[in-house]
Amino acid sequence: MSTVDEAAEERFSINPARVGLYLTLGGLLVFFLAPIETGVVTSLKTPDAVGTTSPLVPSVEGFTLDNYATAVSELLPGMVNSLLYAVPATILSALFGSFAAYGLTLTDWRGQIGVLLLFVAGIFIPYQAVLVPLTRLFSVLGLSTLGIWGLLGIDNAYAGIVELIITHTAYGIPICAILFRSYYKGMSEEMLESARLDGATVRRAYRRIVFPLSTPMFAVVLIYQFTQIWNDLLFALVLVQAESSAAAPVTLILAGLGASQSGTIFGLRMAGAFVAALPTLAVYVLFGEEFAKGVAT
Amino acid sequence: MATFSEVRELLKRVARTDDGDTTSDSETATDAGSATGDEVATDGGTTRSDGSATTDEPRIDGSEVATDGGEVKTDGGVQQSDGGLRATLEDRVGEDFLESAPFWLPPVLLVGLFVYGAVLWNAVISLTDYEGFDDPDYFDLDFDMYVQALTSSQVIDAGVNTLVLMVGFTVVALVFGLLIAVVVDRNIRFENTFRTIYLLPMSLSFVVTAQFWLWMYDYDGVLNNSLGLLGLGPFEFIGNQQIVLASVVFALVWQFSGYTMVVYLAALRAIPTEHFEAARVDGASVVKMYWRVIVPQLKSATVSASVVLMVFSLKAFDFLFALVGGYRPPNGADILATKMVREAFQNQNWAYGSAIAILLFLMALSVIGPYLYYEYTNDNL
Amino acid sequence: MARLELDDLTKVFTDDDGGEVVAVEEVSIDIADGEFLVLVGPSGCGKSTTLRMIAGLETVSDGRIRLGDRVIDDKKPQDRDIAMVFQSYALYPHMTVRGNMSFGLEESTEMPDDEIRTLVDDTAGMLGIAELLERTPTELSGGQRQRVALGRAIVREPEVFLMDEPLSNLDAKLRSEMRTELQRLQEDLDTTTVYVTHDQTEAMTMGDRIAILNDGRLQQVATPLEAYHQPANRFVAGFIGEPSMNFFDVEVQGDQLVHAPAGDTSAGEFSYPISADTRESLQATSRATLGIRPEDIEIVGAAESGRDFDTTVDVVEPMGDENNLYLGFSADSERTFVATVGGMRRVEEGQPAVARVPESAIHLFDADTGEALQNRTLRDAAATEPEL
Repeated sequence: MSTVDEAAEERFSINPARVGLYLTLGGLLVFFLAPIETGVVTSLKTPDAVGTTSPLVPSVEGFTLDNYATAVSELLPGMVNSLLYAVPATILSALFGSFAAYGLTLTDWRGQIGVLLLFVAGIFIPYQAVLVPLTRLFSVLGLSTLGIWGLLGIDNAYAGIVELIITHTAYGIPICAILFRSYYKGMSEEMLESARLDGATVRRAYRRIVFPLSTPMFAVVLIYQFTQIWNDLLFALVLVQAESSAAAPVTLILAGLGASQSGTIFGLRMAGAFVAALPTLAVYVLFGEEFAKGVAT
Repeated sequence: MATFSEVRELLKRVARTDDGDTTSDSETATDAGSATGDEVATDGGTTRSDGSATTDEPRIDGSEVATDGGEVKTDGGVQQSDGGLRATLEDRVGEDFLESAPFWLPPVLLVGLFVYGAVLWNAVISLTDYEGFDDPDYFDLDFDMYVQALTSSQVIDAGVNTLVLMVGFTVVALVFGLLIAVVVDRNIRFENTFRTIYLLPMSLSFVVTAQFWLWMYDYDGVLNNSLGLLGLGPFEFIGNQQIVLASVVFALVWQFSGYTMVVYLAALRAIPTEHFEAARVDGASVVKMYWRVIVPQLKSATVSASVVLMVFSLKAFDFLFALVGGYRPPNGADILATKMVREAFQNQNWAYGSAIAILLFLMALSVIGPYLYYEYTNDNL
Repeated sequence: MARLELDDLTKVFTDDDGGEVVAVEEVSIDIADGEFLVLVGPSGCGKSTTLRMIAGLETVSDGRIRLGDRVIDDKKPQDRDIAMVFQSYALYPHMTVRGNMSFGLEESTEMPDDEIRTLVDDTAGMLGIAELLERTPTELSGGQRQRVALGRAIVREPEVFLMDEPLSNLDAKLRSEMRTELQRLQEDLDTTTVYVTHDQTEAMTMGDRIAILNDGRLQQVATPLEAYHQPANRFVAGFIGEPSMNFFDVEVQGDQLVHAPAGDTSAGEFSYPISADTRESLQATSRATLGIRPEDIEIVGAAESGRDFDTTVDVVEPMGDENNLYLGFSADSERTFVATVGGMRRVEEGQPAVARVPESAIHLFDADTGEALQNRTLRDAAATEPEL
């Protein structure tokens, strides 16, 4: 439903206002897609072609897939690493968010609003304010020194992955909780009262009623959270630190990709950007609705 | 009195025999369940163990939560109080407190620890002189780091840049997003496609965005080429200190105006059509209509979007780091976020970095605080 | 025994600013085992809150609730052996009908699955929804959902049924069908039932007794007919009955009740003669309210006594079975009162009519407290003679 209730005929007539409208829309399209278009075009060019041809136009002679080959080989381990922590952290933060929202919205006790305030505030806290204590905590915990890595034959840099899972889960909980809360607020109170009268405890009510009915919201939260966690650089940088580390997530590697002494190899960078962006782009294209819902809340 | 099960038997028998013979079966009144030997409290109420008085004064319970939308208010109902700590706890904080604790307690603990606990710890560290590979000395606390920070021209510059970035980015993103929303809202074809493309940059990582714009801003890159066609000289979008911040803002707006568009679109569509129709009947031109009728209605959307944008701008670290592939953003684009990470993780000046982080945190708080208060008083929580 | 006693039940809410709202004030009702009691009253009168207190969904600020001989107001809802049907049915949308009906038994009893299954089958059969057992609520019509909600309550075999306006979401025709069926069901099951509604037709037709509430206070508990013919106060008299009773503010002047509303000369002053008995029941009261039901006003040919009044017909509402006549004391009077006559009678707007108000049919209420001072005598309708 649009705010403008225009007659149907206007859609088909050549109306100067409409023409202007579509021109604007087209212009915006250009604005939004230009960086991506030039990225695509450039990623398929050799370094020479990049230097000589116009950045907006593809080059036939200078066409190459080498950039992608390099990008993939450099970034693939990073993508695996990113996946290793993004998936668990997404699921855990979503679950905890649902639990928290349930306990704070669909049950009744004093002080709920206070806790909720803390959650809302928690969404907005700049991560810089916790970085130093975080690194300190993890160095004290010494996860990388545990014998388990040697036992399993894994590079102990992967302790960073575990740290990332913990970190992203904890920092993802506030936004997940708030997303679920807005959803739970819309649930029928009478239905839950009825469940209570029927003898269901708080736990059973969640398991048998609230959780099954939360599926649509889980879709939104999982998709939104996955995007946020995958795209993060700061925690990856701080907890894993070196892009050369075996556990380096993809964002970390990408940041340094294609930088050489003689300048930046843009073709490689562009290819790298696309490869790195692929999962979240795919998620967005497939599940755009859910993503938009998460963003709008 | 026939119980339900007996009536059921009766119905079954009737159904089976089908001769309409409703012989009264055993009408022995075996009661459905009152003979369970439950406690019989006397009227004086003295055997009630939860300590609540049965005098004339009304007993008011834990949380007073009115149900949404109905005239019937509720306060959550009765839970068993059988004396002791549990009862006093329930009386004081409301009934579901303990039962629901397994749900909210772990997340609250996690958040409390990792967010608030960490911030507190950070504040403490900022008062030490922690640097390098030593351990922090928690007994030698002073404000040295803050003095150093507040007198450092770099920090001050970074602070100013942070502010400029924050305000510039927020305002431009809001205005631009609103314009896009207005345009998209005009009952166009393929609306979904347009919306999807406009929102697309939001799904990208800052790092990816930085790559694209690094290329766009390159001296021989797209922007300079296009501007060259118009006869405008090539610019050092990143190298030039004066305009680098604007370039950063522009790139971030590119990434975020999809978000503001979504927010404003939702807000626009929530306005009942009667408002528009009334304005049209009153003869308002399109522009006037938007200005007078609509913009005031968008206040709440603007508020929440601004807060999100401002806080994101404080985090613009990812973008700047990826832009140069290192801790040091281009000259003129250093913000508190990048300065902090640099000091702490590159220079190992942990306490100094913490102090800068606290300054950043306070900046964020000055935005979040009023916002939370506004939402709380408007019952939006 | 499932006798339900409400003893001085009171509910006070505190709102955010610390102000107190007394939703229910000292309501006491004794409900007999197997009785169908209807709680009726206008919106906000406290009937739902009372019901929720019985259910345990609200705490009791003061007073007691006893079921059988046990005090239950401090027990959890699930321990009270009570089942409730909500206005919105409150079904679980993701479960089948069978799932919905089995839920309570699964959660609150140790009954084995096959027993639950049989019980659900039987109950569904009794309600005529056996073929819907595998469907989900979203696939059902309003009436079907209502039956499922009923079934869910019945299956629990509780001591008491509580129903919160279960019929108000149904369309008119379905509503009257379900009314009858609910009554039949309740008689078969013989379970104590407390039924809340704002519709006085439902109250009158369904209840063994009705309890009328207003502003949190109990106005009267009586059988429907008692409430109709012997209302305890003016509120009950005006609430029960459609079209509602006509009221006139009068002053007692000797053996006359004088209606002379100040400042409204066109509303018609009249003087109504009363007998010695009536004067006695008025005692020392000088101001009262005279009430007369529309159906008790007779339209006669000519005025014969002081109880016959000349009026003009202002509006006629032909209902088919009867005509509602809105009568005014003069042609342009603003205030009208209602008289009901047979549907076959031809009456036209603007026509004069003589309205007879028999003394045996009047109700008198104290002007300040609203309390009933005299109600109509319950006589055979065929034998109404004006008596002095």
